[in-house]
Amino acid sequence: MKIKILTLLLLVMTVVASASTGSSSQGGGDPWTAQQLLNPAELAKILNTPKAPQPVIFSVGMEPIIKGSVDIGPTVMKGNLDNLKQRLAKLPKSTSIVVYCGCCPFVNCPNIRPAMQLLGEMKFTNYKLLNVPQNIKVDWIDKGYPMSE
Amino acid sequence: MKRYLFIVALLLGNAFASIAQNIGTEPGNIAPEISLPTPAGNVLELSSLKGKLVLVDFWGTWCSPCMEEQHDLLRLYKKYKKVRFTNGEGFEIYGVSLDAKKANWESTIAALQINWIQVSDLKYWRSPVAKTYKIEALPFNLLIDGKGIVLAKNLHGTDLEKAISKQIIK
Repeated sequence: MKIKILTLLLLVMTVVASASTGSSSQGGGDPWTAQQLLNPAELAKILNTPKAPQPVIFSVGMEPIIKGSVDIGPTVMKGNLDNLKQRLAKLPKSTSIVVYCGCCPFVNCPNIRPAMQLLGEMKFTNYKLLNVPQNIKVDWIDKGYPMSE
Repeated sequence: MKRYLFIVALLLGNAFASIAQNIGTEPGNIAPEISLPTPAGNVLELSSLKGKLVLVDFWGTWCSPCMEEQHDLLRLYKKYKKVRFTNGEGFEIYGVSLDAKKANWESTIAALQINWIQVSDLKYWRSPVAKTYKIEALPFNLLIDGKGIVLAKNLHGTDLEKAISKQIIK
């Protein structure tokens, strides 16, 4: 009887442990919230309205594609992340900031996480990640949105 | 009757020929021409490989699934390079990189020893070839025969090897 109870307890503990691991890997996820995702159409509209307040746009990928964006380079590399840090240090914490890479879908992109993490650590209050589900070609270039020269 | 059948066959033949002549990226189409420079700066056209079975592989050093695939492509390259196929003498890979920086591109080719034909305009996602080939995601590839006709689109792993070995002369 005792053995049966012990077995049952072990089983319950295993199930609980695996469930909590599962939830932490889901919840511990990405350094941005759903509210911080900016639709490309929205950013294109802002860029096409020069009188509207313009955000500071950082390209943290291979090449700056979006008009007026600052070329940081892939922030998967420490040197580029340090460069971003230095530029951010000169900006007020309330600056409207947009970050994008667009090499690949978020799941395969090595650059957006270090950049968004840094913005959070530096206590910026108004920063967004461009929501690029596929890549910068499909979600920006093909749509005819404003590009850098 | 024989004459009638002959005319029907001729008409059908023409119809199939015209389908095959369409330039595009679907099986049966003629693969669009690509004319881009190698790392050494020599322009190398895709059409110059006519007569061989060719894998046109679109990749980038910044694309992790592409990088993972290169080792397997190297294995296929070594295995099938000198094999005779139904519509091609030997197997070649025409690697088109969507990189932006030449240094990254060159050093990766050297490090992975993927010394097949490599070309790029270093224009990243702005490359006109990405538009011509209607590429929406990387990796992307086409297997084309010795006449430049698309045999298969976007096959990877064992599916790709099956498609290659299917072309071997039995």
